[in-house]
Amino acid sequence: MTVEVSSLKELVEQASGTSGSPDTQEYFVNMGPQHPSTHGVLRLVLKLDGERVLRCIPVLGYIHRSIEKISEHMNYMNCVHLTDRMDYLSSIMNNWAVAKAVEEAAGIEVNDRIRYIRTIFAELERIQSHQLWWGVLGMDLGAFTPFLYGIRDREVLNDVMEETIGARLTMNYVLPGGLMADIHPNFVNRVKEFIKYFRPKLDEYDDLLTNNVIIQERLRNVGVLSAQTAVQYGATGPVLRGSGVAFDLRKDHPYGVYDQVDFEVPVGTVGDSWDRYWVRVEEMRQSLRIVEQLLDNIPPGDFLVKKLNSKIKLPEGRYYSQLETARGILGVFITSDKKDEPYRLHYRSPNFNNLWCLEPMIKGDYIASLIGAMSSLDLVIPDIDR
Amino acid sequence: MGIVTDKLPGALEKVPGGNVLVTRFDEIINWARANSLWPLTFGTSCCAIEMLMATGGPRHDMARFGAEVARPSPRQADLLILAGTIVKRMAPRLRTLYEQMAEPRYVIATGACTISGGPFIYHSYTTVRGADEIIPVDVYVPGCPPRPEQLFHGLLTLQKMIKEGETIREPGVRRKPVISALPEGVTMEDIQGEMKELLVKENVVDVHQAVDKLKWPSGTNDGS
Amino acid sequence: MDRETLQAAVCQLDSSIRPLEENADRAAVVVEAAALPAILRRLRDEPEFSFAQLLDHVAVDWIDRGQFELVYHLYSFKHKHFLFVSVFVPREDPRVPTVCRLYPVAEWQEREVYDLFGVLYEDHPDLRRLFLEDDWIGFPLRKDYQDDFMLDRPR
Repeated sequence: MTVEVSSLKELVEQASGTSGSPDTQEYFVNMGPQHPSTHGVLRLVLKLDGERVLRCIPVLGYIHRSIEKISEHMNYMNCVHLTDRMDYLSSIMNNWAVAKAVEEAAGIEVNDRIRYIRTIFAELERIQSHQLWWGVLGMDLGAFTPFLYGIRDREVLNDVMEETIGARLTMNYVLPGGLMADIHPNFVNRVKEFIKYFRPKLDEYDDLLTNNVIIQERLRNVGVLSAQTAVQYGATGPVLRGSGVAFDLRKDHPYGVYDQVDFEVPVGTVGDSWDRYWVRVEEMRQSLRIVEQLLDNIPPGDFLVKKLNSKIKLPEGRYYSQLETARGILGVFITSDKKDEPYRLHYRSPNFNNLWCLEPMIKGDYIASLIGAMSSLDLVIPDIDR
Repeated sequence: MGIVTDKLPGALEKVPGGNVLVTRFDEIINWARANSLWPLTFGTSCCAIEMLMATGGPRHDMARFGAEVARPSPRQADLLILAGTIVKRMAPRLRTLYEQMAEPRYVIATGACTISGGPFIYHSYTTVRGADEIIPVDVYVPGCPPRPEQLFHGLLTLQKMIKEGETIREPGVRRKPVISALPEGVTMEDIQGEMKELLVKENVVDVHQAVDKLKWPSGTNDGS
Repeated sequence: MDRETLQAAVCQLDSSIRPLEENADRAAVVVEAAALPAILRRLRDEPEFSFAQLLDHVAVDWIDRGQFELVYHLYSFKHKHFLFVSVFVPREDPRVPTVCRLYPVAEWQEREVYDLFGVLYEDHPDLRRLFLEDDWIGFPLRKDYQDDFMLDRPR
């Protein structure tokens, strides 16, 4: 059997040409890599007929930094640092995924305090990530005010986390074997203050965007993704849940202390952009609930059960650990050959798999709907390219 | 008059019916340029959140420095804030964007990646080691990612550079690139020189003196 | 189904399936390249397994053995179980039939592996580079990849 390797140039040449209709002609338009609504450097090659999108070919690699190759030359403690820079909006969860893989492989059992603190920070960061997404969605749809609201509340939460961690974006807080530092004495009180502050703000979000007729018109029945397509195209996280599949690793394969808290997994019904929007806004409320339940019960203990040095070696084998970040399942696949560096380290990034839902979502729809649908996917491009 | 007469070097002369400000044309132009920078929204990765989003937000508010009119089109922008890693595939596009920007154009490189390649410098087959391999950079802002305050310091540094910089007689003449986090008057060369001096001082041994100081333990070496 | 039972049950499917010899923290089996699509189809469709989602597709370059290992990570929403399916192909002529008719997401996951390892997927509808330029020479995640650009970390 022969295998043909094509190139983008050939693909565009093959697909161009006149259509059957005499008065319109299909043409290609480049969207990106420098485009304000692609959230970074995603490039979409759009085949258009008038304003209708016939094909949408994502072209990647404008921020491919070869993290997997670099990781093969780093010890496990250093690999954690690079994950901050992949999906920078859920950096603590990325750290945790690698830490979890290394801990499971090396047989390190962390204590309850560490698991509580990790869970609290993961949920706080999920809120933070969704706040930014909410603001940027508004901006993509042409409203500037939501961006200011989202960033305003994000800064409030940022201050709380910064007090413990010391960084604003690339947190680098979770290490294999524990945490970088213990929580600040003020932490619990300040998070409580934040929850008191943010609850009414969520209602304000609803007044501004959720109940806004224009936003509803722009999102409802736009970019419909059926449950079957979502599963086949590898979607996870809010994208999959928006399509009506109630799958959340926090519920189905609990890690941290998610099995001890009471929360609901919001699930959409239609699978349009509106459902994905609604799922994320609802997730912020659920995250607040989780944090509230855990805050008062943080058990005493060490914040680092075992100080690992850079020479840690994992036993030979393949290890896979996954957890639910703000965008879906992040999987870490480590192949170890008994050295202090991983033989192969692969990240299953949620955005890489969610991105491919864009074409089935948007085929035949208008180009303006593409912006709303893409925004509802909440893509982080450096996580796609790694 | 306050703000104009305070900020601009020149002489204010009272004439019947009002005041006349006498100054150089260059000063006026540079003053205007420095205070109305229009940045291009060019964010590739993590730094974009801090540099473009957090600074545009209400807490830090870039509008205080007259640089909030972020434009997605390079034709309408004269300040390129590089936020995020530049890889080989992006490099020609970055060059194109830079060349399309309106003259005179300025570049601020923020974050470790755009300065040197940052954490992706070794064993990477794509990461460009510093944006200055592709386009000239005026101000470097270190950090991974830098805080918004650091960007503002870089922006103020650039404004100062612009005010002291170009003249109509010599267009395109720029000052050397600066790192915004360094104290005033200290350059990269000073730091490198100081480090070299220190290394030499610590690692050079005067052999004769060292031998003199060395005392052999008694009874091990004599008479044998 | 726990790990061992699942692994044994999958091995019962066909005589060519055997358990992975190396250590793995999930159920793991090895299949022949030619039989891969048929086996994945049965794993997907039979209600006992119903692996509806292809979570991930990874290649590992075992340069000492002269082989690429291609790992398919399957997940079942129904039974909540997880399976590694490994295929070993020779490094000189790495070819494997595509599975993107079964799992559409494989189209891009396979393109990623082609881009970084140079594994050729037979009958793939659109085999192109994914991250790198079309005229890139070599496959960078192979262990013996070298170019003039890369810098080694000073020790």
